[in-house]
Amino acid sequence: MNLLIFALIILFGLSSYYFGRSEARKLITTNKIKLNALPSYYGYYLGIWCGLPALIILSLWSLFEPTIIKILILSNFSNVESKDLFYEQTLSFFNGNFTGELTNNIKIASERYSSLNAIAYNSKIALLASAVIFSTSYAYKKIKSNNRARDDVELILKGLLFVSSLVAIFTTIGIIVSLLFESIKFFSTINLFDFIFGTSWSPQRAFVRDASTITPEEYLELKDAFGSVPLFAGTAFIALIAMCVAVPIGLFSGIYLAEYASTKVRKYSKPIIEILAGIPTVVYGFFAALTVGPFFRTVGESLGLTVSSESALAAGLIMGVMIIPYISSLSDDVINSVPQSLRDGSYAVGATKSETIKKVIIPAALPGIIGSILLAVSRAIGETMIVVMAAGLAANLTINPLESTTTITTQIVMILVGDQEFDSPKTQAAFALGLTLFIATLFLNYIALRVVKKYREKYD
Amino acid sequence: MELNNSKIKIKSKNLNVYYGNKQALHNINLEINNKEVTALIGPSGCGKSTFIRCINRMNDTIDICKVDGSIEIDGKEVNDKNVDVVTLREKIGMVFQKPNPFPKSIYDNIAYGPTIHGIGEKKDEMDKIVETSLKKAALWDEVKDRLNEPGTGLSGGQQQRLCIARALSVNPEVILMDEPCSALDPIATAKIEELIDDLKKSYTIVIVTHSMAQAVRVSQKTGFFHLGKIIEVDTTEKIFKNPANKMTQDYITGRFG
Repeated sequence: MNLLIFALIILFGLSSYYFGRSEARKLITTNKIKLNALPSYYGYYLGIWCGLPALIILSLWSLFEPTIIKILILSNFSNVESKDLFYEQTLSFFNGNFTGELTNNIKIASERYSSLNAIAYNSKIALLASAVIFSTSYAYKKIKSNNRARDDVELILKGLLFVSSLVAIFTTIGIIVSLLFESIKFFSTINLFDFIFGTSWSPQRAFVRDASTITPEEYLELKDAFGSVPLFAGTAFIALIAMCVAVPIGLFSGIYLAEYASTKVRKYSKPIIEILAGIPTVVYGFFAALTVGPFFRTVGESLGLTVSSESALAAGLIMGVMIIPYISSLSDDVINSVPQSLRDGSYAVGATKSETIKKVIIPAALPGIIGSILLAVSRAIGETMIVVMAAGLAANLTINPLESTTTITTQIVMILVGDQEFDSPKTQAAFALGLTLFIATLFLNYIALRVVKKYREKYD
Repeated sequence: MELNNSKIKIKSKNLNVYYGNKQALHNINLEINNKEVTALIGPSGCGKSTFIRCINRMNDTIDICKVDGSIEIDGKEVNDKNVDVVTLREKIGMVFQKPNPFPKSIYDNIAYGPTIHGIGEKKDEMDKIVETSLKKAALWDEVKDRLNEPGTGLSGGQQQRLCIARALSVNPEVILMDEPCSALDPIATAKIEELIDDLKKSYTIVIVTHSMAQAVRVSQKTGFFHLGKIIEVDTTEKIFKNPANKMTQDYITGRFG
């Protein structure tokens, strides 16, 4: 029902846009008045005045109506115990899907609910209609008096943009706060130091246990189930392998594209490299798990090495390939933005191309290149799908790239897959891991952005 | 006759330059005398800069640029395939329109060229090169106490003298200057002009300029370019007092360009 009203309001708004515009045109042509703004601004003005107040009233009404009705009904039944349940029963009886013991009170409440609903509905329609009529006629009068519609429209647009950015900001804050609260719950059961410095990770030991009922004896048992060191070590290790692949290849291809490639080669090869960034990570994941992992195992066996089929090497390697375009295309941009005059200056004293690149261009572009590498690192740390599929699940604390390891993201996935007890420390551990991961990538991004910004100041 | 020939440092014969399909220079024949300042004047886009970039083959760095015809330095062909561009550019320094110091320290800006050519490998030798180059560019007194500060932190005029010092650091014989004062204020310009006057004792200088007054003040010989062709070349005095060509006359009196 609300949807229909919403559509109607939008329709009214649109038609008043056209109406306002044509009225303004009429004023110009018939009355020979020079208006303060273009006709379309008067259209927007009328349209906004017609739609916006009604929409605001509608959304506020829909937001508060259920609560107000509930309060009104419950105020008549102050002697009923467990009011929420009673109210739910009333609603389901009203909707015709009530099961259980029917009391007289419920019947009365339901009748009252139905009458209140009808009143609310009628008054909503009346209020909306009068809002539309009143505000539209107000705006229409304003058009006649040739107000400065442009300023008002600009003001409303500014407000709209502001509200949009507010939504984005509050969503982010909301996510962070929920991460924070769940993590605080986790850390109230599991000691922060046991989490940060513990070297053994086996959260399944705390599977179906309510966090609030854990006794000190049980805690001793749980103490070393949540040591996150193997996860951080695994994450850092795989990211390191990935960077070992991505940094040289990405940087060199970036240099080639920026300095050596002809326009034609650049035109075709740059998009092809960037396609790498468009491949879904799950595709990389099964490529790593089904092709690269077994390949390493076969090669390793022929060399007499024991290679796990899910290895840090396979995951890191493929992750590195995935990251190449980030580094190559960012460093290509950065190198391109080094002014040509510096190259000329270097060539003019007799430097060769590679000397110029090594001694002038790379140093000048270095902050930007480091920025791109840091962004790539935070991408590698947050990457999930490849490691879930190719790196393994066992939390081994190892530096042997041929063994399977695990990462923070993999463990979060493992913890939250399947049925969850939301107050078990096992589930809450996912939030704690998420929070630490978030802090780590935030820190890296912050440094990267600072470095890149500093670089920009240099040439602008 | 022999004496006359040795006076000529650079000589271009039927030089044509193309950018893609567009011809930028048409049959340029120009002789530049040893240890003299030659000024090239003409309206924007007439090919002055293209010409001086041919002398040290800077046009090689532009993909679509094609050069034919001949330029000789001391009787040796520049456009020859066997010429090593690195040694050529060591011999012919260049200063650009906009000061372009490297984002390195003042010291490293000067030391860059010598290091590349393997000169001054010892620290005290390099110190000496830096000092003499900066002295020749009349910058030493202003920067001797802050050689480790970035070259980009200097003022525009100082930056341009730093670039001149950088060009001098590899002991060139010729210095090409592409509107070296166009980004500078009158005081900095006066300093650079003074410097040019001083440098011509030991170097052959070719300067592209948009300022008639500057050409008169610093040069001995002037060439007037228009639409990729040389219209007139003569001593500066003759060009500015009594030009042979009507177009030259119009240009120097400001009637077009």
